Amino acid sequence: MSGRHFIPHPSRIRNFSIIAHVDHGKSTLADRFIQLCGGLDQREMKEQVLDSMDLERERGITIKAQSVTLQYQANDGHRYQLNLIDTPGHVDFSYEVSRSLTACEGALLVVDAAQGVEAQTVANCYTAVDLGLTVIPVLNKIDLPAAEPDRVLQEIEDVIGLDSNATLSVSAKTGQGVEGVLEQIVTLLPPPRGSENAPLRALIIDTWFDNYLGVVSLIRIMDGVLNTGRTRIRMMSTMKDYRVENIGVFTPKPVNVERLSAGNVGYLIAGLKEIKSARVGDTITLTNQPADQPLPGFKKVKPTVFAGLYPINNADFESFRIALDKLSLNDASLVFTPESSQALGFGFRCGFLGMLHMEIVQERLEREYQLELITTSPTVVYEILLNNGEVLFIDNPADLPDRSKIELIKEPYLIARILVPQDYVGAVISLCVERRGIQKNIHYHGRQVMLEFAMPVNEVVVDFFDHLKSVSRGYGSLDYEFIESRPANMVKVDILINGEKVGPLSVLVHKEHSQHRARELVSRMRKLIPRQMFDVAIQAAIGAKIITRETVKALRKNVTAKCYGGDISRKRKLLEKQKAGKKRMKQIGSVAIPQEAFLSILQVERD
Amino acid sequence: MLVPPLSLYIHFPWCIKKCPYCDFNSHALKGALNAEKHEEKYIKALLTDLDADLDAATKDRKLVSIFMGGGTPSLFSAKSFSILLDQIKQRIALDANIEITLEANPGTLEHDQFEAYLESGINRLSLGVQSFDDRQLKTLGRIHDSNAAENAIQAAKTAGFENFNLDFMYGLPQQSAEMAVQDCLHAISYSPTHLSFYQLTIEPNTYFYQFPPRLPDDVQQIEIQTALQNTLNQYGYQQYEVSAYARPGRECKHNLNYWQFGDYLGIGAGAHSKLTGDDSIVRSWKQKHPETYMAHIKNNTAYKMENPVPQKERLFEFMMNALRLKDGIKLTTLQQRTGLPKNLAINALQHAINQKWVEITDESIRCTESGYLFIDEILQRLLPES
Repeated sequence: MSGRHFIPHPSRIRNFSIIAHVDHGKSTLADRFIQLCGGLDQREMKEQVLDSMDLERERGITIKAQSVTLQYQANDGHRYQLNLIDTPGHVDFSYEVSRSLTACEGALLVVDAAQGVEAQTVANCYTAVDLGLTVIPVLNKIDLPAAEPDRVLQEIEDVIGLDSNATLSVSAKTGQGVEGVLEQIVTLLPPPRGSENAPLRALIIDTWFDNYLGVVSLIRIMDGVLNTGRTRIRMMSTMKDYRVENIGVFTPKPVNVERLSAGNVGYLIAGLKEIKSARVGDTITLTNQPADQPLPGFKKVKPTVFAGLYPINNADFESFRIALDKLSLNDASLVFTPESSQALGFGFRCGFLGMLHMEIVQERLEREYQLELITTSPTVVYEILLNNGEVLFIDNPADLPDRSKIELIKEPYLIARILVPQDYVGAVISLCVERRGIQKNIHYHGRQVMLEFAMPVNEVVVDFFDHLKSVSRGYGSLDYEFIESRPANMVKVDILINGEKVGPLSVLVHKEHSQHRARELVSRMRKLIPRQMFDVAIQAAIGAKIITRETVKALRKNVTAKCYGGDISRKRKLLEKQKAGKKRMKQIGSVAIPQEAFLSILQVERD
Repeated sequence: MLVPPLSLYIHFPWCIKKCPYCDFNSHALKGALNAEKHEEKYIKALLTDLDADLDAATKDRKLVSIFMGGGTPSLFSAKSFSILLDQIKQRIALDANIEITLEANPGTLEHDQFEAYLESGINRLSLGVQSFDDRQLKTLGRIHDSNAAENAIQAAKTAGFENFNLDFMYGLPQQSAEMAVQDCLHAISYSPTHLSFYQLTIEPNTYFYQFPPRLPDDVQQIEIQTALQNTLNQYGYQQYEVSAYARPGRECKHNLNYWQFGDYLGIGAGAHSKLTGDDSIVRSWKQKHPETYMAHIKNNTAYKMENPVPQKERLFEFMMNALRLKDGIKLTTLQQRTGLPKNLAINALQHAINQKWVEITDESIRCTESGYLFIDEILQRLLPES
């Protein structure tokens, strides 16, 4: 892995990120850069090199930040080192985005010339500007027939407030204009600040687990120098010391180097056992010559959405535990603790950064570890003030104490920033109000409107984004930021199946919505629970009071009318399908309940 | 294993048009059936197909039945059947009491045709009446009306067919038990030896699957079915299979052979065969599309696929057929035709026995009255783990 590596003067280094909405072409543009700078030969060039996980490839979302160091021969005759620091492309990972941006002096704002500006791009762009980065707007996909460069340029100016005159127009797909972007990076972005002579301060941009190398961190040297050769380093948040095993840069292949100095971006391997020891945003310094102050902005991200995950087949519990252990090797924000439920057996209560994070984890568990799981309704963390002055934090409706003991329930809120074309403002406001949102602000930017609502997180985690997309014909985009918890009148709705309470189906809802939600939930479950050999009663209750009931009538017969002559294959297939369907169901008492019934809680229609 | 009785199935894959509920291997004709293009070529292909199938496994065996099904076999001329049956006789022995059935659809038949059919050796007819209610016939997309159905039955009888079946469907859109019984009584008035009542079900790859009609719910379905069973029983038609009723001794030999896990050769597009060897059971099937089938046979390229039935699948396959029989089947037949010990079957069916879905008396195994409504539930539990 070691090889000769070009070490430029700091004035010839440019560190930058790409800010873009999902699907606006960030990865394709990055691939073009790698190609143009000769980072990989044609044979090694897989499409979208930076999105290395299969799932990322499929969904077009970057989950883990990766980076690449490129050499670029500029028109001024000099050779430059360009460090592209990748950023995760989803709102659940906004803290990671801010850390990636901190490691840069500049950013490319990539906007799809057909789609226009989206809320999350705006949010990330503001973060970049706040952090003092120089932002270069780039209009991508100009080769598309649906491209409207003039309108989108106006949006960049109106909404983000960037001078759009300097905007470059490119097509990352065809390669048109891409070289011009590299030139602008060199001429417009400042070289890294920071002094080689100061004590070492290196920012952890990302940490992951590599099967061969162990824990690997991507770092940006802000000040000082980091040498290889068993140097002792210290994590400033934990004050724990480690020895450097290897440092290097990604070209994008990993290449070991002797030293990384102020302005450089590279990887660090220091014999860490778990990624939690090298948290994103932490500062690394030298043990024998430590810096006085860590870099600002470090925080330990906390999960905001919790759900119970249970294997459909109880025998899979051990493999489920192993799978979670393996996943968390590479996902410091995934937390899980064992829990058990009478209905579902043994499982884990898992905490996620947000709904996308939850979906991704769930999908990876099912796909990479072949687990079939039931996911209970996701909830947020409620703060419960008891009569005796005690405070509880509850992330599972089943743990809610008796009402008589509760003085007050507080639920977490967030500020939602929604960018939407004027035509849909009314519909979006109604949606937010329906979800107990309180309007904070409204800004008109040309045809686009930026709405700000304070909303209960509970109302956003479930299916808010889908509804936002549907009421705005796909144009609305969302960014959010957590704020404090506020008092709320929440009640617990329990679901009973044939008279038996099914804990994992309980949900906390606002009292005003409780009747309505309970009815919808029960009616939806009735449609999803297949008919069985006996009647199945589905009820919803608040406390001891039953509010609604529906019945799934017993199956009266199940026999094929015509078994056609000699061809048994079709009937057999039908039977196999029926049987497979039953296998995917969870047995609760004597009632078989399909996965979808559990998820139905997530998808209750509200119109 | 003992060698079971052997039947021959011959498939005729064309219809005037495709019915909206039909998921069988039938293909709508564009225009009329062409004597040269379809008939002669197809009959020739059938015989080549049969020749290739006749080998050691079928040597010294007699056919107990021949069934010509479709599609609409009655689109073919009596002359074609005459040639076909003559040629079959030259190749394989026929049992003295052989049953030779032709499926025929009203609307494709002319009066004098029936006599010629009878002369060709066909001794049983199965007429696809489906209903006598013109509105229902229209919904079902049939090409005939009740008048055409009545004329066809009358003509068959006049020609001398005394052994015939009428096919009906029930559980039709807006059908009440009274309406179904009406249909049934109308059918009985022709004194057929056999009646089939199939519940209309919506199958994938059909027009109805895409545009489902509103059917009676399953409470109503059971009501209709019970009313039909009572009526048929009252007039001396005994239910011997889920959808089949017959006068005593007039059960369809050909279908009984399927349900008793007998052997059969299938020739024609998409036809299936099952043959028992010394210690093997092999299923095979032919190229499905008629044009491809004929072309492959002509060029002697692969048109036949086959699969052995492994031990672990035999109980399921056997029960899938046998449990459909009202009287069930002897455990000795199970042993003889699958090579499996009878205890294996008793153990595998324990759940169904506990549920009182299946009972074993007098060395016979059969569904109980309640089990007869849940055969698919029983079978699911017998499916071998893949």
